[in-house]
Amino acid sequence: MSASPQEHTGKGGKKALDAELNLVPFIDLLSCCISFLLITAVWTQIAGLQVASSGGPPDQQQKQENTIDVKLLVTEKGYSLTMAGAAIDIPKINGKDGTPAFDRKVLSDKLKTLKASLPDQSSITVQPEDVVAYEDLVNTVDTCLGEQLRNVTVAPLN
Amino acid sequence: MAIVTPGKRPGKRIAASRVFGKKFGRSKKTGNAGLMLTSLVDMFTIIVIFLLQNFSANGEILYMSKDIKLPDAIHGAQLERAPVISVSNDAVTFDGRQVATTDDLTKGDVLNVPELEDALREEKRRYEQIHANDPDHPFKGLVNVQADRRIQFKVIKRVMFSCNQSGFGNINFAALSKSAAEVKTVTAANN
Repeated sequence: MSASPQEHTGKGGKKALDAELNLVPFIDLLSCCISFLLITAVWTQIAGLQVASSGGPPDQQQKQENTIDVKLLVTEKGYSLTMAGAAIDIPKINGKDGTPAFDRKVLSDKLKTLKASLPDQSSITVQPEDVVAYEDLVNTVDTCLGEQLRNVTVAPLN
Repeated sequence: MAIVTPGKRPGKRIAASRVFGKKFGRSKKTGNAGLMLTSLVDMFTIIVIFLLQNFSANGEILYMSKDIKLPDAIHGAQLERAPVISVSNDAVTFDGRQVATTDDLTKGDVLNVPELEDALREEKRRYEQIHANDPDHPFKGLVNVQADRRIQFKVIKRVMFSCNQSGFGNINFAALSKSAAEVKTVTAANN
């Protein structure tokens, strides 16, 4: 592609006003950018769910008065939410492939109610049984984080 | 009859016409063929914008192994760079080095994993040594745990206990980041 405007012929003809850009260096630059970005691209987006393990550093919320000790037991039968002496059982439901699955929707509703009544509450202790799968643990912690319970502690049930 | 080149042969009067004659005039064709580069540049620009949007300055923090299928999470935060403990169905590795087999952790009743604790203590000592004169980077006890979705909590519990014993109290569970809309779409498709 030519870089200069149309040459003046000197014959008194009309001079073209169109100028053509030299696109070759631009294409070179874009090719380099594409190569670099493709090589350094991260295709899988990994998220981190930060939890404290039991016996770790104490959370800052313990000093607050308007919070309670909330425990969420994750067992083979389902969830059991324990707070202020009361326990709410959330049994498993039939999952998408017919197998029993944890009812995260009900758990989310219960935590929402808890958060509405205690807005300062931000800590919860999740206590899974040994047989609970990592996926269920992560989903449970994810549900807690979704309901603004940011200080999640994971402790063994036994 | 004279031999003529194939094509339309207008009569003399039409060929001489100012209006119709131009159609039949034979101009010299140049040998240079110009490529249309505008669409190519447009396409390159779109690709660069798409790749820039997906660009992550942190790079790969976790090594994605085919043995480990991570669960999905919606409310996860971005992972920080920290030592990585991977738990697959076969082995438990610390920064790529095997420290125990998963079977051993499933069978035993003891909570601690000595090899893992040693490796973590060594890591902590190394970090504190490097950042001894750097108050801006205190030791936070952060560790990333990456486990297969079917691994039982019994194994995770022992890994967490070892982390806690070695001073790594802040544990990041790794999961694949999904938006709520994505999860809803997948659920709807499955139903």
